[in-house]
Amino acid sequence: MVTEDSDTENKYKRADAAETSSERRAPVGRRRFLQAAGAGTAVALAGCSGGGGDGGPVTLGAAYILSGFASLYGEEAERGIEFAVSEINDNGGIDGRDVEVLVRDTEASGDTAIQQIRSLVQEDNVDGLFGLDSSGVAQAVAPQISQLQMPFMITHAATPFVTSPQGEHEDSVGNEYVFRDSNSLAQDVYGAARTAQELDATEWATIGPDYAFGYETWDYFQAYCDGLGVEAEFTAEQFPALATSDYTPFISSILDADPDAVLTPLWGADLTTFIGQAESAGWFDQIDHTLFSVGMGTDLPSDGSPLPEGEYASTRYDPFVPDTEANNSFREAYYEEYGSLPTYNAEGAYRALHLYKEAIESAGSTEPDALVDEFTGMEHSGPVGEYQFTETNQATVSSIWGTVTYDEEWESNVLDPVNRYEAGPDVLSDALGDSDLPTGI
Amino acid sequence: MSLTSLVPLIGIADVVIGLSLGSRLFLIAVGLSLIFGVLGVLNFAHGGFYMLGAYVTLAVVSNVVDNFWVAAVVGALAVGVVGAAIEFSAIRRLYDRVDSDLDQLIVTFGFVLVIHETVRFVWGSGSYSIDPPDVFNFSVTLGGSTFNAYRLVVIGLAVGVLAALWLFITRTYFGSLVRGTSSDREMAAMLGVDVPRLYTGVFFLGSVLAGLGGALSAPLQSTSPALGDQVIIDAFIVVVIGGLGSMSGAFVGAMLIGMMQSLGPQFISAGSIAIPFLAMVIVLLIRPEGLFGGIGE
Repeated sequence: MVTEDSDTENKYKRADAAETSSERRAPVGRRRFLQAAGAGTAVALAGCSGGGGDGGPVTLGAAYILSGFASLYGEEAERGIEFAVSEINDNGGIDGRDVEVLVRDTEASGDTAIQQIRSLVQEDNVDGLFGLDSSGVAQAVAPQISQLQMPFMITHAATPFVTSPQGEHEDSVGNEYVFRDSNSLAQDVYGAARTAQELDATEWATIGPDYAFGYETWDYFQAYCDGLGVEAEFTAEQFPALATSDYTPFISSILDADPDAVLTPLWGADLTTFIGQAESAGWFDQIDHTLFSVGMGTDLPSDGSPLPEGEYASTRYDPFVPDTEANNSFREAYYEEYGSLPTYNAEGAYRALHLYKEAIESAGSTEPDALVDEFTGMEHSGPVGEYQFTETNQATVSSIWGTVTYDEEWESNVLDPVNRYEAGPDVLSDALGDSDLPTGI
Repeated sequence: MSLTSLVPLIGIADVVIGLSLGSRLFLIAVGLSLIFGVLGVLNFAHGGFYMLGAYVTLAVVSNVVDNFWVAAVVGALAVGVVGAAIEFSAIRRLYDRVDSDLDQLIVTFGFVLVIHETVRFVWGSGSYSIDPPDVFNFSVTLGGSTFNAYRLVVIGLAVGVLAALWLFITRTYFGSLVRGTSSDREMAAMLGVDVPRLYTGVFFLGSVLAGLGGALSAPLQSTSPALGDQVIIDAFIVVVIGGLGSMSGAFVGAMLIGMMQSLGPQFISAGSIAIPFLAMVIVLLIRPEGLFGGIGE
């Protein structure tokens, strides 16, 4: 019952996007947007032009959060998927075959994600998997992937422990089948510590969600500050439950401790709620600097409370940097299609399809083990820039932090100025110093 | 669950926030308690009523009239009508059954799901928020801590509702019928009280209070379909602590839980959500009938 209803609601929530693009789509007839009502919340995004080779389409399975507090992340990923599917199928498909993607709703739950992924593999016989929006979900899913022996390209979920080989740390669940094309929490928070280095702030606090992502962000931040020699004291921490509707008591508790700066990894509707309530509590007048880790992923698609200008935020992908042909043309075409700047979740999902295209064409097959061999150590480039998969299957993408600035031209917040910190294995290992936390790369 | 600090810094804002959280809990718990006291029905759907009050208020304020107070009244009354319809169409049929408690529990829980899914269908699973009404939407700084003036309004209204309810139950004719019926339903019926109509009236009143709680809270929290589930648990804790059926118990219980929710994060950085549960366990062990146990007060 629950899955059926979330499907209804997905239709409801996507109504706007569908309306804006239908005009362009209908006369050309080159793109079909199927929503399968059966089989849970399966949403098929299928391209209908191009090759259509002997073996039928290449079918990929994806799992994102499509309902609840972080549904806008799943919606952004679906845009990236839709964009990549039409781009690939309009240009000859994958080895002459069309690609189609089945998207399922994880409901931000590890158990649901596992059910959906098993169903994609065992009932829909997909050729490869990608997705995931939550560290908690990824942590639960990674061991299952190794059992299913099917490659999985994580495009957002950030816990370093899924790209830290099993055995390295008690929480490590990395294995040969799990890859990540987006940056990890270890990479992102490294940039937070580098940002902190430049700020006139000594007392630091955090307010983060009460699960792996909230705690890991704070653990890594403290370890990096220590390793980089940032003069910082850690004076207060609050971990409200996910989907809290009233953050006021937690906000008030942090304000009472009166830190100079706060690092917050709240995300999705939780972040929007927090910002609105923090503003009315006088947070941004009292706290000198607030660092929103990966805040841009929520800011760009969200309707309510934008990130306040002058604060700091990170992203896993910046639509303006690097200033390359690949990034500029992606941004322009995406903006024309959807009327908003691409988020990192759209870009991560978009790139996963191109990674599969490259791997399948290079292997000449969709055999899971052949694809795993292709992904292992693969060098690739996309809108995010050039990167390589390391020994632990983590992409060597940068950590991107900048100052939140409203841009009139794009009618949107952007990061300006923005810093890209190289965050490869050696850099992270040095910066973590004596800590026993894994680099996840 | 690490200690944030050994000597927490409690500001005036923390107290005001706690009382305002308590106020909204009171509005939902007092209706829950009233319905149980008179009808003997433990209404699981009461959290859903609260959520519905918030949604209707948001919808009215953003689509119909740009006046929060009008929208709040519409929201509260709309929920009252929904509640009365549920009592009239479904719950009424269960009073005379042998195992009526269990049936009521299942039926009201069924309405929890119906309300939840209806809200998701109409408004989606995202969250909404609005600003407090302009007149009261300013910050008050006292003793170095800041809170929104609207919180004081919510606290004042909750106290006003408590006083009005007390006058209504103790000083009016309808109130005496309510008291009489709750202590002996059959005798009241024999004396000519229209019990079914009275029950619908009380259910309407209890639902209006839940809807009002949701409406007044809309500017202080984000409204999403999960709201009803969160608040009904707190409301049950309140009535268990205060004593089922007691209005003043609901008020004291609600303020206690509100203060725990506000001050809890000062003591532990995560899991402060569990403190009210601990308080409930302690009250149940020491005084199972609740602090103000008793019906008809």
